[in-house]
Amino acid sequence: MAVDNKLKVYRANHNLTQQDLADKVGVTRQTIIAIEANKYLPSLGLALKISRHFQVNVEDIFFYKEDNDS
Amino acid sequence: MKLKKYKQLRIIITIFVSIIISLAINSHSYLLTLAAVLTGMVFMALFRHKAKIKADERDITIQEKAAKLTYAIFAPTIGIASVLLLIPTHSGLAVFSKTDFTYLESLGMIFAYITLFMISIFAISYHFLNQKFGGGRGQ
Repeated sequence: MAVDNKLKVYRANHNLTQQDLADKVGVTRQTIIAIEANKYLPSLGLALKISRHFQVNVEDIFFYKEDNDS
Repeated sequence: MKLKKYKQLRIIITIFVSIIISLAINSHSYLLTLAAVLTGMVFMALFRHKAKIKADERDITIQEKAAKLTYAIFAPTIGIASVLLLIPTHSGLAVFSKTDFTYLESLGMIFAYITLFMISIFAISYHFLNQKFGGGRGQ
């Protein structure tokens, strides 16, 4: 199982750029890009900050994705 | 101060310090080299503070992984190098008993002490960090 996210979808729904979201949660734009591309798994603190910003639960944005071969 | 301006200033300081260091080395003024490095460090710290640059968690993760990789590569390399440098002088072979090879033993000893120092630092910092992050005795 791997962790996937819908950050890009939520960001687009709220009309936010990657830089806007980065400024709001106190990270760099590169971090947001890496999270959206599933290249970086955020810490629990950052995941909570992002979910609180969109006023949803953490698992609405970050969730486990079942692998095809498992 | 914006991040872009901070980056520009950082490049200017680096160029300035590099020029002073190269001039100081050419004129054999090692005190000036030290002064240039220290001044550069102070200015970097000041601008960084003024620009309110925060290290974000991805940068910290990258630094942690890079440090781990550096240790994993450097410690065995320098350890093996020290052994390889110490073996010939202790092998009893006549070819290595000449005074020309005495520097090899000295270099090997220095490498060996560096390896031991590095392992000690790792063990001590591991112990303290383990306690800081909730690890008890014998865990």
